[in-house]
Amino acid sequence: MPIIEVDHVTKEFQLGQLVSLKQSVVNGLNRLVGRPVEERKPFKALDDVSFSVEKGEVLGIIGHNGAGKSTLLKLLARVSKPSSGRVSVIGKVAPLIEVGAGMVPDLTGRENIHLNCTILGIPKKEIAWKFDQIVSFAELEEFIDTPIKHYSSGMKVKLGFAIATSVDAEILIVDEVLAVGDLAFQRKCFDRMQDLIKRQGRTVLLVSHNIRQVERLCSRVLLLDHGKVINDGAPTDICNVFYEISDKRILDTKLSAAARSGRTLTSGNAEIESVVMLDKRGNSVTEIEYLDDVEIRVGYRILADLPDPIFSIGVHTTDFLYLATSQSIGSLSTGTLLPGHYVLSYTIHRFPLLPGVYSLRLGVALGGSFQPVFYSENVLSFQVSGKQINRAVQSQYREGFVGLDGEWELTAREINNASSRVAIAK
Amino acid sequence: MSLGKQRIRDVINVIKNIVDNRELIATLAWKNITVRYKQAYLGILWSLLKPLMLMCIFIVLRSFVGINSGNVPYPVLTLAALSIWIFFQESASEGVTSVVGNASLIRKIYFPREVFPLTSVSTKLVELGINFVILACFMAWYGILPGIYALWVPVLVFYTVLLSLTIAFAGSALNVYYRDVSTALPVLLSLMMYLSPVIYPLQLVKNKLLIEQAAGAWSSKLYFLYTLNPLAGLIDSFQNVMLRHQPPNFDAMLPGFCFTLVLLPLSYLYFKRAEAYFADVI
Repeated sequence: MPIIEVDHVTKEFQLGQLVSLKQSVVNGLNRLVGRPVEERKPFKALDDVSFSVEKGEVLGIIGHNGAGKSTLLKLLARVSKPSSGRVSVIGKVAPLIEVGAGMVPDLTGRENIHLNCTILGIPKKEIAWKFDQIVSFAELEEFIDTPIKHYSSGMKVKLGFAIATSVDAEILIVDEVLAVGDLAFQRKCFDRMQDLIKRQGRTVLLVSHNIRQVERLCSRVLLLDHGKVINDGAPTDICNVFYEISDKRILDTKLSAAARSGRTLTSGNAEIESVVMLDKRGNSVTEIEYLDDVEIRVGYRILADLPDPIFSIGVHTTDFLYLATSQSIGSLSTGTLLPGHYVLSYTIHRFPLLPGVYSLRLGVALGGSFQPVFYSENVLSFQVSGKQINRAVQSQYREGFVGLDGEWELTAREINNASSRVAIAK
Repeated sequence: MSLGKQRIRDVINVIKNIVDNRELIATLAWKNITVRYKQAYLGILWSLLKPLMLMCIFIVLRSFVGINSGNVPYPVLTLAALSIWIFFQESASEGVTSVVGNASLIRKIYFPREVFPLTSVSTKLVELGINFVILACFMAWYGILPGIYALWVPVLVFYTVLLSLTIAFAGSALNVYYRDVSTALPVLLSLMMYLSPVIYPLQLVKNKLLIEQAAGAWSSKLYFLYTLNPLAGLIDSFQNVMLRHQPPNFDAMLPGFCFTLVLLPLSYLYFKRAEAYFADVI
């Protein structure tokens, strides 16, 4: 028997301003006499969403801003009702949505604890014995009789979290609250959450942009995009899919950015006409596979004689950290280039950069004097995807940029337990 | 028959909701009062300012136009009317803004939304208690003792609560969609004060219309219309039981009471229907 059931739920919002009083009177009259009413197009925040949650499950909900995560939580918290479909929740729900919703600045910490506990539905006698626990968790013993308008923002959040997690509810709804306070307190919050989940067997719905946290805490993850559930399953798999989509999105914004950032220096003697990236089959791509062969083709227009030019191609991150550069010096001798159109090709075998979004920089310099003729950054953004790489290994803070090409080996030198003598290799 | 049973079940549900949420209502009302008077030296005594000031103005006014207050001293008579009137007026207008005023809670946490209008009325009930103390002081000064009929006071106060809620439920729900309501209401309410026996006793209206027949053939109809305002009978009844040692004026209360009996359920039903969309619209 699932504790939460969401059955073909759609939630629509009217876009734009509310209808004026006059307009709604006119609409009402039109409806009465059966004339067509001018309707505005509704916006679907959730579009035919169905899933169910069993007792004790920890469900993570991830997705980009505006994917419908908060709307979904509001429906589950009974704050809002679906336009169509059915939401059924068995048991008491404690919303930790943006802790501190009911905080009143003029009241003291003590008064706020009483007020917020009552709002969250904790009976009076329970508040009495939970009070000390809340105060000590929030580390606010000294300040408990000070109006909270004098609290620092960190203190307020601590208090809010302490109150919210003291509710005895079967279902906890957590919306981005773990990123509170200083590092030590974050650790404490995380432990508290883990305690609620693992030891007390609560059902938890967790919305977060911290994908690593979701991966660690949840037993199942739901990926929302534009109001639809596009994936539902084991945390690691879903989070990998999310990383891919995120990277693609970063790339899209890079590509659509009209005014490109990055430096361009030119002496006027050379300019780029085209830059393309080709995969193994010779198709022009902006997304390549990790460890694939790739060819970069640059069309140059040369406007003056260039004696022994040196070409260079480099890769940098979206925040202009130079990762790799390759120069044609020593491997490409052209003699003096006469004015005209040229196509430069550079093939990279087994592209070694780890999945992410990168950009190309290009340069041309004169041989001998190394005097720059042309230099430009951020000329082409591309994405490296890695289907065969497990992102679970990659943390939220990336593990680096370059994959190493090596072999693993483990051999047993001496095994004390004679009965299980096995040689482990590779 | 089954419809009647359904109604009864609805009423039981409403009462159960209130009982279930009594702690919440009490705490929120306590919060309202604490927050309002927190950094004020005189604190809740400020709630005495309005009735006392209006009373003084009315006394001055009376010295120009002459209002016959019967055998009760005018200051006490008008103060009694004012305590009921101000309670009604303030709890109705606070109730109307209560839902929008708690937008941050409504967007985040679910509990029955009628808690908000109910809280506003409860808050004002405390201030009414303080006004009653000052009324008692005036009565003592003029040597008026309440009689046995003063036992009606709780019933009359409860009736006033129902009246305020009638306006607060529908008004607060409408106010979520059209903020015009909270702007228009104070104006309408101050108009309503002149249509209620606050400055003058009801007896004057009765004399003019029923005895002198001042409006000719329309007189009794006009009087009926006047008493359709529930406050007309209510205020007169309150003055009766507190000051005149008489039972409540049931004749004058009847039209307004029936009117309320129709409006209150409608107002509540509208509130419950609109409630589901508060979080989306607010």
